[in-house]
Amino acid sequence: MQSIVHLLNKEIILEWRQRHSLGGILLYVLATVFIVFSMIKNIAPPVWIALYWIIVLFAAANATTRSFYQESGNRQLFYYQISHSLSFIFSKLVYNLLILILISTITWLGFSFFTKPMVKNYPLFILCIVLGSAAFSTIYTFVSSIAGKTPNGAAMMAILSFPLLIPVLLTLLKLSAQACRLMNDTGYWKDIVILLSIDGLLIGIMIFLFPFVWRD
Amino acid sequence: MKLNNVVKFLGITLVLYSLIFGLLIPLKPGVLTVDPFKINTGKDNKIEITGYNTHFKSSSTLEVYLKLSDQQFIKASGIDKITDSKLTATFNIPAFLATNDQVVDAVLIVNSDLDGAIVKPSAVSIKQDSINVDEAKKLAVSMDPPKLLKHKSFSFPYRLILEETIRNVYYHVPLWFAMIVLFGYSVWASWKFLKTKENRFDHIAVAATTVGIILGVLGLLTGAVWAKNTWGQYWSGDIKQNMTAISLLIYLAYFVLRSSLDDDLKKNTLSAVYNIFAFTALIPLIFVIPRLTDSLHPGNGGNPAIGGEDLDNSMRMIFYPACIGWIIVSLWLADLYRRILNLEKRNLDI
Repeated sequence: MQSIVHLLNKEIILEWRQRHSLGGILLYVLATVFIVFSMIKNIAPPVWIALYWIIVLFAAANATTRSFYQESGNRQLFYYQISHSLSFIFSKLVYNLLILILISTITWLGFSFFTKPMVKNYPLFILCIVLGSAAFSTIYTFVSSIAGKTPNGAAMMAILSFPLLIPVLLTLLKLSAQACRLMNDTGYWKDIVILLSIDGLLIGIMIFLFPFVWRD
Repeated sequence: MKLNNVVKFLGITLVLYSLIFGLLIPLKPGVLTVDPFKINTGKDNKIEITGYNTHFKSSSTLEVYLKLSDQQFIKASGIDKITDSKLTATFNIPAFLATNDQVVDAVLIVNSDLDGAIVKPSAVSIKQDSINVDEAKKLAVSMDPPKLLKHKSFSFPYRLILEETIRNVYYHVPLWFAMIVLFGYSVWASWKFLKTKENRFDHIAVAATTVGIILGVLGLLTGAVWAKNTWGQYWSGDIKQNMTAISLLIYLAYFVLRSSLDDDLKKNTLSAVYNIFAFTALIPLIFVIPRLTDSLHPGNGGNPAIGGEDLDNSMRMIFYPACIGWIIVSLWLADLYRRILNLEKRNLDI
């Protein structure tokens, strides 16, 4: 636990030293939002939701690919010696979760600024963002640990993670439609349970598998 | 998995058995169309009935009924057998029906000694111009429910819309079962590889995944053809179709990952890790989400499609052997491919 906090601290300090890269991601998000707004002036709610999650998907892929790239092989070896594999992956996971929540919130704010407010049920939408970011960050962190070892990491990242993300995206789409009152489904807690169980399952299998990637 | 020769023989026999008997055994007789399907009360109505696999002309006893409710039956006053699959029945419908509804949906029952009882629900709707229940009770001819005859020869059930495509159950569904078994097998092999780092387990995983993908594509194609004939188009965006497309994408990504790495140990380890991770991500995809969502597939919303009224005893006799046969044959295929991979690596453990 102690080492997770230390490593997380290190991630944040590193990020602060390279402010430009996080700033780049945020600018990327805002630019995309503005492009979407300029192309579709009167955006319909279902399109809004779909575009929102697509932008978050791609921005998240960009933001998380760095997690295993920005550190050189020598530094990886150093971490390998001083910390446990699980505290390492968990620090990455929590850090990516925070970044993704930031990205999805900024995208949401950007969208709400340019278009009329779509979201009616705020707590549900915030829950969507948190659960979605958790699933995104689990899949992206783990896949980037695999993709980081391949020569063409960025392309590999998309190929390996997008199919895994589709069920999460479909569930998120349904839940956000619920949050925007596009549909009225009293059984939306089922979707929340699905998202929670996907998160739990993926984190569980990641704890189990990461030592093998790490040792390599 | 090295298979015993007896098991291989059993697999081939079961697949051939399901292919031959699954295609040759006829469907039960059924009623295709009823014309006209809207009739009025108070007069003689001539209805033309087109049958499927029926023997109207050659059967010696033939009765046609309209069932209005559990107590009310109307027997056809005259039957004109035109051919084996066509007959006209004349019904003398009373002026009033003993019900408060303007329109009554009647069940058509064709009872014959050769074909057994053929039942077509909501075949004819009878419209009464005015309602008079008391008068109807006087007019009604009291009649016992007809004694339904049994169809004697071995046959598969006749279902509306499905008709002959019902046979696809023996090919489409076992392909999925075999695919799941092979993916499970490859996950087991990947896990063994991670623990032992022996290349032979990696070969098992690759072979099982390859054969699994082939089965998945075949399952998708048989499903698409079936969907074209029953749901109207090849791709209906049904939840199970989408999920299958996703799982195929995931396993294709597995091969892209393998081909992008050169170092054997790194390649095998990373692909084994991804295989297990992807299979875990597939569990909610295949087993949980389709059951919580509406689907065109039978058995949505909770229960699996096997059992219930979709699969009767005659079909079980083909379906279960077909499943076992396909699983054995695909394991055998995977084993052959594993041996090829071993030979390519000059590993003589074949």
